[in-house]
This record gives sequence, structure tokens and C-alpha cells, in this order.
Amino acid sequence: MNPESLLVGAVAYDPKVVTVWEGIRDVLHDDGVAMDFALYSNYERLVHELLAGHVDIAWSTPLAHVRIQKATENRSLSLGMRDSDRDFHAKIVVRKDAGIRALRDLEGRRLAVGSRDSTQARILPLYFLGEAGVDVSRVEIVAFDSDVGKHGDTGRSELDVLRALHEGSVAAGAVGDYVWVIESAAGRIDASQLEVLWTTPGFDHCMFDALPSLDSQRADRFKTALLAMRWDDPRHRRILELEGLKQWMPAREPGYDSLRAALDASNGW
Amino acid sequence: MDGDRRPLVAAAAIDAGSLPFGSGLLALVRPALARLPAGGVVALISGSAALREDLPRWCRIEHHDYLGCDPADGARDRHLVARGPLGGESGAALDDAMPALGDPRSGFAPRGARVEPGAPAYPFTLLDREHVAPPEIADLYRQAAGASWSVEQDIPWQRIPPLPDALEQAVGQVMGFLAQNELSALYVPARFLPRVHPAYAEVAMFLATQLADEARHVDAFVRRARRAGTLGVATVTTAHSLLTLLEAAVRRRAATLAGTGGVPAPVQDLVLLAAGSTDPAALERGADAFRTLLETMHEARIRRLRSAGFAADQAARLSELHTPNFM
Repeated sequence: MNPESLLVGAVAYDPKVVTVWEGIRDVLHDDGVAMDFALYSNYERLVHELLAGHVDIAWSTPLAHVRIQKATENRSLSLGMRDSDRDFHAKIVVRKDAGIRALRDLEGRRLAVGSRDSTQARILPLYFLGEAGVDVSRVEIVAFDSDVGKHGDTGRSELDVLRALHEGSVAAGAVGDYVWVIESAAGRIDASQLEVLWTTPGFDHCMFDALPSLDSQRADRFKTALLAMRWDDPRHRRILELEGLKQWMPAREPGYDSLRAALDASNGW
Repeated sequence: MDGDRRPLVAAAAIDAGSLPFGSGLLALVRPALARLPAGGVVALISGSAALREDLPRWCRIEHHDYLGCDPADGARDRHLVARGPLGGESGAALDDAMPALGDPRSGFAPRGARVEPGAPAYPFTLLDREHVAPPEIADLYRQAAGASWSVEQDIPWQRIPPLPDALEQAVGQVMGFLAQNELSALYVPARFLPRVHPAYAEVAMFLATQLADEARHVDAFVRRARRAGTLGVATVTTAHSLLTLLEAAVRRRAATLAGTGGVPAPVQDLVLLAAGSTDPAALERGADAFRTLLETMHEARIRRLRSAGFAADQAARLSELHTPNFM
């Protein structure tokens, strides 16, 4: 075991995560960056392990990211994100036969939402609805709390929301726009039944986090190796596809302000 | 729309009616973009308001450049999308000629297709045209595909006469033995098929006609054996012999048999069939006929090997390696 090796922690939300991290480890190794990984079953554990110094870097959901920042009083390092993590939105999708024409029409109606720790399918859509003037306490929330602890990574709760909408057991539902567009592109959305009522403001998604104590040269080598991965390089392509990106991007922070505000407003920290 | 981007000339225009994003719109957009080089612009006229959000989001996921939308005729929008840098070169000339060397990364892409960069390497091992693909292979495939026959229709099953019981038993044993060997003839060349690089697909397809032919042999022999009421015994000697075919080549198969003194063929049944009865004089004639058969097969093999380009002594040596195995 190389003591210089960076240890990256991630959550095993799917068996493919092993393939992804074995692949990233090999790619970084080729670039002269020694790295290993540790997988945890949920993000609460991952956050704990990073803060305890047991891993050098955590691959965090937005919820894990802002919790790490709060716990380190904003001194944690943000090392990078996926292209697909930028400018996320949530969609409020309605059944066309539900007669919902405006956001306030959601009051008194059944709104399907994803897991309670899903940023894009629960926390932020409900927060943004409140900000937009909806009395959320009067909306009948139908929650699909699947894969709790995975922070919505599996997308399962969003697919549950779409299924409930298609079945007609709810009048409206909240999903991330990534799932909405991917499911639409795959022909799995019945546009004769469902339409988008509203799109929330944008927010950002996952992030590599490190403790402020991480040596800056090691952090830089990790960032450089990530950013060098290319979509048209056969050594990288499969990993990028499985991880749902085409290009790694530098970190940016403003996209998490709304999530912090939502957690403040709901005592959700 | 961003003013300094005008004037933009769209290389292609699509009228998508009022198709929503998830209802086949991409069937129009994707091919239009795929036909353009990176940076080429498609104009999309649409009456679907939801497209103003779904199309830019899809473009971001696919790394196309969404340039914005203007009012078009009436209440409709004119979206402009520039093809992104990902997804490889497009517009390459189709080349239908077999390459000198198959590229492991083109995988199962049919020859002449544009291949996106970044694909994984496939484990094909027969990669060079000179050793895999004779120039006339496409013609050979067409001939073979056009010349297939039918076990059901081309064998006059109803005209096969009933035989005395001893002969039927022998027929069953011989047919069972033949079917066992034909099954190996189906499996052994099948192992070459996944090794052939698909740039020489005609080779694999020709091999497939060969496999279909072996399958018909199995079918025919098994059917005849069932009429005899027996498939005979599948012997250990034959099992050893055929296993070597899976594991190695002809030479090793002969070596395996050399020490056993065994001939893995139902010799007695063939003699009996040649005799036509259990009468001793007839059996003697049957034994002569069997020896003649072995010689005839040996000579026929040599003829075929020589016509395939082997020298006379090589052809004889190869044929002799076959002889003890009978098949």
C-alpha cells in the first residue's frame, strides 16, 4: 500500500460504482496519481468518514457537500464536479387531465415527490414551490422514500414519481430535469398524459470534497488528472458514461446557495 | 438570441410541427445533427412551448451548443442548435472495401459505417485480410446461401423401405454415430466464427452457412435413426476422439487414438449394412466393401486437399491422419 495514495470515499448506490472507481483508479495511476477508494453504503457515513479524516476526498451529493462545508465552517476544499452537475433544475410535472393551470392549483392536490434526502426530487422542489408562493402545507405530499441514505443517486424515487403520474394515482410530481429529459429521450414519457407545469431555478449537484488539511499539490494532481479525462478516449469513455458525464469541470459554489437556504428553512441540516 | 452570433446560416432545417420533446422529436434532431460536422447548425421549427426548456437541457447533456430561439411563423419557435464536438467525425466517405487489417475498436460495426471514437477494443483474433478473407468470399457466401437444401423436403422420407430388424439396428447405430460426429462438425468450426473480425463479415456469414449445413446433417441422421428405433451407443472412444477436436487439431486427435488401437467408428455395423444380411458369405463381401470405402474416402480426401492447394505428399499425410478416425 502506497502511503502517498489518495483515498477517495464514495457511496455504493449501484454495483456499477465498483467499475467506475476501479476505472478511475487505473486512469489516475496511468497519469502518475496514486489513488485508492473506499465505498460506503450511505452518504451520512461517507460525510462522517471524511470529517474523521479516514478518507482524503469524498464524492458527495449536493446534500453531503453542503453538510461537509457547514461542518468545516466552509474551509473544506471543493475539487471538481461533472458537467452534468451544473445547472440542474427540478420539474413540476402534472397530468394533463388534472386541471392544474397554475402553481397555486397544487394546493389540495396530490403531489408525488422523491426520497426525503433527494435534492432534486424533494428538498429543492418543495423549497422553490414555497418561494414561489405555494402553501406547501396544503399540498398533499405523496412521498416515495426509496433508497434513503443514497441522496437520490439511484434515481429510483424519481422513476417512482413518474410511474405514479402515468398511473394517475397523483395529479402532480417533482423530478429532476436530468431524469425528465433522459426518460423523455428514451421514449418513456407519455406526452399525451403528462406535461411540465413549472421548472425551478437552477442549482448544482455533486462535488468532490476534501478537508482543508489535504496537501494542495496532491489536490492539484487529482484535479488535473480528472480534467484530463476525455470522452473520445477509449480508456475514459466507459467510466464517463457510467458516471453520467462527458467532461469533469472545475468546482463552483453559487449553485448550492438555494440548498443551504432550503435546509435552513426546513431545519433539514 | 445573442446578437453577435448573427447572421447564422443553418445547414439544415426541420419542421417538427408541435411534437413534444419525448414524442419522437429526437428522431428528427439526432440524424440532422449527425449529418453535420462539429459546429454545423440545425434550425428546428416547433410549436411545442416545452421545447424551450427540454431542448437546451438535452443539448447540454449531449454537449451540443443551443444557440437560442426566435419567433418563427405564427406562434411557433425557431430553435438553433450547433452540433457539439463529441461523437466523432461525421461525413466520412463510406468505404465498402475490406480493410487490410480489422480495427479491434470497430467491434460489430458493419463495414462502411462511421465509427464513433472511444469504443472499447473487441477480442477478435483473426484480424488480417490476407489470412482470413479471400477476395471471392462474398461470392462464395452468396452461392452457399442460395444453395441450401431442406431436410424435410429434399429427402424422400416416405420412400425409405423397411429393413430387417438387424439391419435397422445397424442403421440406427451408424446414424447415431454420424449425428455425434456432425454435432462436432457444428461445434468445432463455430469456434472460429467469433474470432473473425466483422470487417470480414462475409467470412463469418459463409461459416454460418457451413454451420447450418452441419445442423441439417445432424437433423437428417437423427431422424433416420429414430425411424430405426435406436440411436445406438455413443462410445467412450468416440467421446475421447471428438473432445480432442474441441481441444486441439487433427494431429493431436490422431495421436490420441494411435495408442488405443481403437477406431471410433461402428465398423461392424457398417460391414453388416454393406453385406445387407447376416449370411456369412455376404458379411465377407461387406468387409471387403468397407475396406474399399476407406480407400475411396482416403483418395477423395487427397483429391480435395490437392485442389485446395496442398502438395501431394502433404495431402496424403493429412488424409492418413484422418483415416483411423474414419470420419
